[in-house]
Amino acid sequence: MKKFLAAMTSVGILISGCGSDNSTAEDKTTFTYGTVAYGVAMENAGTNPHESYSGWSTIRYGIGETLFKFNEHMELEPWIAESFAQIDDYTVKIKVKDNVTFSNGKKVDGEAVKKCLEHLIVNHDRAPHDLKISGIAADGQIVTITSTEKVPALLNYLSDPYGCIIDVDAGFEDKIVVGTGPYRAVKVTDTQIDLVRNENYWGAVKPKLEKIIVRSITDGDTLTMAMQNGELDAVQGLPYSSLKLFDNDKFKISQVDTSRVYQAAFNFDTPELQDLNVRRAISMAIDKENFTKVLLDGNGTAAVGPFPANLSFGDNAVHAAPYDLDGAKNLLTESGWIDTDGDGYVDKDGKNLELRYLTYTSRQELPLLAEAAQANLKKIGVKLNVNATDNYKTFLRDGDYDIFSKAIVTAPTGDAEYYFTSHIVSGAVDNAGHYNSAEISRLENELHNTFGAANRSALAIQMSQQILDDCALFYASHLKMSFVMKNNVAGFYAHPSDYYEITAELEKK
Amino acid sequence: MNKIFPQLISAGAIIFIAIFAQYLTPFDPYEQNLARALTPPDSINLLGTDRYGRDILSRVIIGSQTTILSALALLAVISIFGSLIGAVCGFKGGKLDTFLMRLSDVFLAFPQMVFAIAAAGALGGGLFNAALALALIGWTKYARISRSLTLTIRKMPYIDAAKLAGTSSFGILINHVLPNIAGPILVTAALDIGTIIMELAGLSFLGLGAMPPTAEWGAMMNNGRSMLQTASWVILAPGFAIFLTVAIFNLLGDALRDVLDVKNR
Repeated sequence: MKKFLAAMTSVGILISGCGSDNSTAEDKTTFTYGTVAYGVAMENAGTNPHESYSGWSTIRYGIGETLFKFNEHMELEPWIAESFAQIDDYTVKIKVKDNVTFSNGKKVDGEAVKKCLEHLIVNHDRAPHDLKISGIAADGQIVTITSTEKVPALLNYLSDPYGCIIDVDAGFEDKIVVGTGPYRAVKVTDTQIDLVRNENYWGAVKPKLEKIIVRSITDGDTLTMAMQNGELDAVQGLPYSSLKLFDNDKFKISQVDTSRVYQAAFNFDTPELQDLNVRRAISMAIDKENFTKVLLDGNGTAAVGPFPANLSFGDNAVHAAPYDLDGAKNLLTESGWIDTDGDGYVDKDGKNLELRYLTYTSRQELPLLAEAAQANLKKIGVKLNVNATDNYKTFLRDGDYDIFSKAIVTAPTGDAEYYFTSHIVSGAVDNAGHYNSAEISRLENELHNTFGAANRSALAIQMSQQILDDCALFYASHLKMSFVMKNNVAGFYAHPSDYYEITAELEKK
Repeated sequence: MNKIFPQLISAGAIIFIAIFAQYLTPFDPYEQNLARALTPPDSINLLGTDRYGRDILSRVIIGSQTTILSALALLAVISIFGSLIGAVCGFKGGKLDTFLMRLSDVFLAFPQMVFAIAAAGALGGGLFNAALALALIGWTKYARISRSLTLTIRKMPYIDAAKLAGTSSFGILINHVLPNIAGPILVTAALDIGTIIMELAGLSFLGLGAMPPTAEWGAMMNNGRSMLQTASWVILAPGFAIFLTVAIFNLLGDALRDVLDVKNR
């Protein structure tokens, strides 16, 4: 009996030791946030917006703000700026709000904005190509920007996270910058950002939390368990299969459709894929609805084109070939691809239609799409050899792929031109398929010189439709972004831009 | 012999399943049926389905082919190759012996799994590269054992007799040395099967082994990792298959050691 009691006592001690300590009252002034979206791999480690994609961290974690911001329809609204005036096709005049201060108490005036933008175009890789600035003049709260050529989407580009207005005189030591946001960074590493309240915040709503810790946790299961055992107050990037664990009273979920799309580009250097019928057949054989409903657990929307339906030039305005296996088979037959040897795969001149599908694993949905596409295409007799590797850039460089699938935010600035110039036009940096269309080049040239949202939207629709008619790429699904938080967290909402996260409204009740 | 009989039967059954896997699966292990995705075990899918609606029992059965046969093939290669190197080194000695043994020292200086992860990563993943990574470091153990055994055998009177009878070095190695070191090598290999299966599955679990949609137990566990709390059958089935197989082969290795080890007779 003594032995039994001793054993039970030991087990009791062990169990009590393993449990979390819930006896202390929860600290309502500190917010701990876990995310998969911060780190070196995402090129956003640090808070200096003039470095690669670090601006996404500056704006996401409430350190910096841009001149204009996007509302939930991805339309521009003033933020640090009060108003603007388009003087001519090359000149825009922006008035900065009079009451904005940096977190160090210094007033944000035209001169501070000028210094920041000048530093941006000298140091950033993408900004100078987007903005094409030839000169910036400051006078009081007025900033006048002149461009070397027409940049109709200039204000959109200035609202890109790299456009966060920071005090460049305060320096960039230890990856810390001085911004205008509700929180200021006190410690920044490649895996964590420690923030404290900006006591000088200029906004009408004052930040409510004293301290915020942003932790990079790239493993979805670790993130799930950290959220379950109460180590985190909120998380971003949970595996879809884990979301149902938080569908209860203890937690809240905020979801929104973003312009992040899962796409696959056909390599036009592959002889078999130079045939429109083959590309169309493959596009028609992808079961996007079931991919979205089952494999993404409904956390997305089946895509038609590159842009989601909430944008005026999005999926409601374009059309693609529908899911139709018989139609796809007919197209292949029309092009002479027939299963003559009965091995289940179509062949021509004694060669099976076998394609190399390249993708990467750091976006958890991409390998799922690859396996789904592999099974889908098998039904029409196309053999897909999947290569899901994070070393994909080597394969891209060497041209060792026939289809390349990736995830991309197509309209981070609410404007379509960024996507076309980066991924679609001939010679674009990310035109993995080497797609080259004279019509696309003509339309892009027109878009580049067109002002006015409605006109630009009409051109973007034409370009998207041209891509779909040419079957240059297929678009599988638009991602739904999800935040999971404890039920006492308020003021924390997912935004379609993908980069507004921590705001002054955030609080723990 | 009675002591080893149950283990032999169990291991034989597993190898039989692995060899004839394609005839034993109730469904096509690669056929996706999204309408039945993540169905818990029921009368149709005895072990449930995965996120693509594929029958897990069929995938575990076909996965045995990938996992076990790959492990056995790898083991055959490293044990034969390593033993030959060790035997040659032990028998010939000299600079070749010094060079190869120092080389094996270099490989032995690394923890086996860490080296395999690094090598498989550098080679670019895939089941073949994972096996190659394990082979690169796996041969050293066999080379060491066979060399030390050969050094002992080399001094035996029957080796001198063979030499006096004019048998060539190659003949002595094949006819007199290798048959006499085969027992301990076999026991080591039998004890190694479980470890190799675990390591191959481990590399696949880390995404450095079998590529999708190949059914491989480690890769299947990795695919089901995020569903441990919501659809545990996806990860439990291949996990249990690994546990059972490794346990059986380890027991077989122990039994073989008892039978073949002279000291225990």
